[in-house]
Amino acid sequence: MTESPCIEIEGLTRTFSHRIFLARRPITGTIALDHVNLIVEYGEVHGLLGPNGAGKTTLCKILATILLPTAGTVTVCGSDVVTDPRAVRRRIGIVLGGDRGLYGRLTARQNLRHWGALYGLHGTALRSRIDELTERFGLTTRQHDRVETFSRGMKQRVHLARGLIADPELLLLDEPTDGLDPVAATEFRALVGQLRAEGRTILLTTHNMAEAEQVCDRVSFIDNGTILDADPATLSALVSRYERIDALGVTEPTRARVSTIAGVERVEDLPDGYVRFHATDRPAATAVLRALVDAEVTRIRNSEPSLEEIYLHLMGGQRGMRVD
Amino acid sequence: MRLLLTGAAYQLRLLRRSPGDLIALATTPLLTVVFLAVVEHNGRPDLAVNAVLAPALIALWGMSLLIAGDMIDAERATGTFEVLVATPARLWPLFTGRVLVVTVVSLLGLVESWLVATVVFGVPLRVAHPGLFAVTLLATVLAMSGHAGVMTSLFVLSRSARIFQNSLSFPFYVLGGVLVPVALLPAFLRPVSTVVFLSWSADLLRDSLRPAAPDSPVLRVGMVLGLGAAGAALSWWLLSVVLRRARRTGSIALGG
Amino acid sequence: MVSTWWRVGRASAANAFADLVVIYTPASWVFGWLVRVLAQVAFYALIGTLLESPAQQRFLLVGGAVTVMVTEVLLVCASTAWERQAGTLPLLVVAPVSMVPVFLGRSVQWIPSALATSSIALFALGPVFGVGWTVGTALLAWAVLVLTCLATYLFGFAVSMLVLGFIELRNLVGAVVTAITTAISGAVVPVDFWPAGVRFVAHLLPATYGLDALHRLSREEITFTILSNAGLLVLVGVGWLGIGASLLAALVGLGRRRGTLEFP
Ligand SMILES: Nc1ncnc2c1ncn2[C@@H]1O[C@H](COP(=O)(O)OP(=O)(O)OP(=O)(O)O)[C@@H](O)[C@H]1O
Ligand SMILES: [Mg+2]
Repeated sequence: MTESPCIEIEGLTRTFSHRIFLARRPITGTIALDHVNLIVEYGEVHGLLGPNGAGKTTLCKILATILLPTAGTVTVCGSDVVTDPRAVRRRIGIVLGGDRGLYGRLTARQNLRHWGALYGLHGTALRSRIDELTERFGLTTRQHDRVETFSRGMKQRVHLARGLIADPELLLLDEPTDGLDPVAATEFRALVGQLRAEGRTILLTTHNMAEAEQVCDRVSFIDNGTILDADPATLSALVSRYERIDALGVTEPTRARVSTIAGVERVEDLPDGYVRFHATDRPAATAVLRALVDAEVTRIRNSEPSLEEIYLHLMGGQRGMRVD
Repeated sequence: MRLLLTGAAYQLRLLRRSPGDLIALATTPLLTVVFLAVVEHNGRPDLAVNAVLAPALIALWGMSLLIAGDMIDAERATGTFEVLVATPARLWPLFTGRVLVVTVVSLLGLVESWLVATVVFGVPLRVAHPGLFAVTLLATVLAMSGHAGVMTSLFVLSRSARIFQNSLSFPFYVLGGVLVPVALLPAFLRPVSTVVFLSWSADLLRDSLRPAAPDSPVLRVGMVLGLGAAGAALSWWLLSVVLRRARRTGSIALGG
Repeated sequence: MVSTWWRVGRASAANAFADLVVIYTPASWVFGWLVRVLAQVAFYALIGTLLESPAQQRFLLVGGAVTVMVTEVLLVCASTAWERQAGTLPLLVVAPVSMVPVFLGRSVQWIPSALATSSIALFALGPVFGVGWTVGTALLAWAVLVLTCLATYLFGFAVSMLVLGFIELRNLVGAVVTAITTAISGAVVPVDFWPAGVRFVAHLLPATYGLDALHRLSREEITFTILSNAGLLVLVGVGWLGIGASLLAALVGLGRRRGTLEFP
C-alpha cells in the first residue's frame, strides 16, 4: 500500500466534444489532456505549471472525480477514480481559486460545519476540528461573520480550511492564489508550506513560476494537454543545462573571444550594464568563467535560470502555433 | 420624446435576446384555462368575458412591473447604472420608454387568452364595441407605463424592493377588479379601487365585449387617462427624489 | 445513513434560513408576503361571489389556500438554482456523502412560511368566506395541510433537479408547474371536470390528494377517504423523492462525462 504512489496517472486522455443542439453526433473538439503520465509520491508538494487552457483544471477535475477520463487510468490513494470514486472522495480535499464555492450568507463557522457534515463529521469531533482550523488559519476572530463580508484573502483561507476539514491525505489546489494580492498570496503560500511540513501530499496548479519555485518539491510543465517533463532528474538537468554567467566591464575583444567558446549559446546585454553569457552545460560555463577571470574581469555573478526561463524555453517555440 | 423612443428601441432589442422576461406570457394561457374551467363548470358562459380578460390584464400588470424593477437590477449587475445616472439625459423618459415597449408586448397575453378561449374551450367571443375596446386598450397601456416608473424608483431606492414587487400583484388584481368587478367588493374597499386605473380599464374592456351600450364611456376612458397621468407625475417626481438621494448617499451602485 | 442524512440536511438548512432572513424581515413578511398571499386566496374565493354561489366560494377558498402553498413551496426551483450559482456543485460531488440531503435541506425555509400563510388563509380568511371549522375538522385539516406541504416539497425537489440542468428556466418552471397544479388538481374545479388524460396527470400531483381531503373536511365530511388520501400523499411524496434522487444521479453522471459540472 505505502509502496504505490499517491497519484498514478497513465495514458490519461480527455477530449471535450461540442454538441450542437439536435445534432445526431457530437463534434469532437478540444483535446484537453493527451496521453498524460504523472506520478506523485506521498508527502510531495507537486506543482503543475502551465499557461491558460493547458489542461490543469481538467486534470484536477479528473483527480477529484468530478470529470471522467476519456481514456487511461488514474489511481488516487490506491483507488481508481472511475471504478471507485467514493473511496477517492473520502481521502482527498479540494480547493479552487476564484470567488465561488462558499456560501456567502453563512458565517465562516457555519460553512465549515456544513462541509464537515458532508464528510461525516459531527458533534465534538466536528467542533474541535473547526476550532483547530479557524485557529490555524487566523479566522478565529471573524468566524462568526458572514463570508460575503470577507476579503478575497480571507475567503481563500476559509476555502483552505474547508478543503482540510476531513483531514485529507491528498489536497488538490487549483490556482489557489488566483486573484489574491501579493501579500495574501504570500500568506497563502506560507500556509501551504505548513501543510507540507505535516507531510501532506499536495498537487498545486499555477501559472506563477515564483509560486511553484517557492512551495513545490517537484514541478511538471503542462501545455496543450501534454506533460512536457514530469521527471525531476530531467528537470534538474534542464536547470543545470541552462547556466548563465553575468559579468561587468567586459571589453569587446574579451566578449568576442568568450562567445566563440564551444557551448556558449548566446550573449546578451542586461539593463544594469552586465553582459550575460548563456552556457548550455557545466563545462562550457566553467570555460566561460576561466576566460573571464583570465581577462581580469572581476565583477562576475553566476545564477541558475528561474523556472520562468525554463518554461519559456520549453514553451517558447510552440506557443501561438497551435492550430485549433 | 427622443429619449422615450431611444429607451423603447433599446428595450425591444433586449426583449428579443432575453426570452426569460416573457415569463408572464408563459402562464397566461394556463390562467385562462383556470378561469374558463370555473366558468364552464358552473355553467356561466356569460362570465367568459371576465375569464378571458383577466389573464390578459394580469400579464399586462405583472410584466410591466416586473421589468420596470428588473431593469434597474440588470443595469446594476452590468455596472451601467452609474454611467446612466452620470449622463445628462433625463432618466424618466428613458425608463418609461422601455416600460412602454414591454407593456405593448404584454398585450400578446390578450391574444393568447383569446386563442385558448376559442381553440381549447370553443367559447365564441365578439367585440361588440370595437372602437371603445381599442381606445381603452391604448389608454390602459399608457396608464400602465406611467405607473410602472414607481416600481423603477423603488428599485433605485432599495434592493429589497423585490418584496414589494411581489406583493403588488394579487392585491391589485382584487382592487383592480380584473376578474371580479369591483362593484362586488366590500364597500370599504370601493374608495381605494376607484383610484386604481385597472378597475376602470377592466370594467370598460368587459363592457366593450358585451352587446349592451356602455355607460358614459368617454368619462370612464378619461378616468383611465387621468389616473395614468397622475401615476406618471408621481413616478416622475419619485424618480427624481430617489436619484437625488442615491447621489447623496452614494448608493447608486449597490442600492440601500 | 439516516443520521448522516439528517445532519447534512440540517447543515444545509442553515443556508435555507440564512436566505430567508435576507429575503424577509418579520414586517415585510407580514405586510408584503402575507398580504399578497391572502389577496390571492381572496381573489379566488371572490370568483364564488361572482358566481353567486356560497358553495363555490368555500370551494375556491380552500383551493386558493392550497394554491398559494404550492406556489411558495415550488420556490424550491429558484433556491436550488441558487446552490448551483454559488458554484458549490463540484465540491458537493467530491464530498463522499449523497447530495440528496443537501438539496432537501437547502429549501426548507419555504415550508414553515408556506404552512403559515396557507393556515392563516384557511382558518382566518376561511370563515370570512363562509368556511366553518370545528376543532376536529380544523385539526384534521391542518394535519392534511402539513402532509400536502411535505409531499409537494418532495415533488418540488424532483422538479428542481430538472431545473438544476437549466437554471435560466428556474422561475419559468416554477410558475408553469404552479399554474398547471392550480388548473388540474381540484383547486378551482373538481378533478372530474377534466378528461381522463389530464386526470391521470392530476393524480401524480400531491396537491390533488390534499385538496380532495380538505374539500371534504371543509364540508364537515369525515370519511375513510381522508385517511386513504393521507396514505396516498405519503406514497406519492416518496415516489417523487425517488425520482428526484435518480434525476440528480443522472445529472451528476452526465456532468462527469461531459464536463458540465462547473468548476470555476
Ligand atoms: N467543459 C468543457 N467543455 C469544453 N471544453 C473544455 C471544457 N473544460 C475545459 N475545456 C477545454 O479544455 C482545455 C483545457 O482547459 P483547462 O480548464 O483544463 O485549462 P487550465 O490549464 O486550467 O487553464 P487556466 O489556466 O485558464 O485555468 C481548454 O482548451 C478548454 O477550452
Ligand atoms: Mg484552470
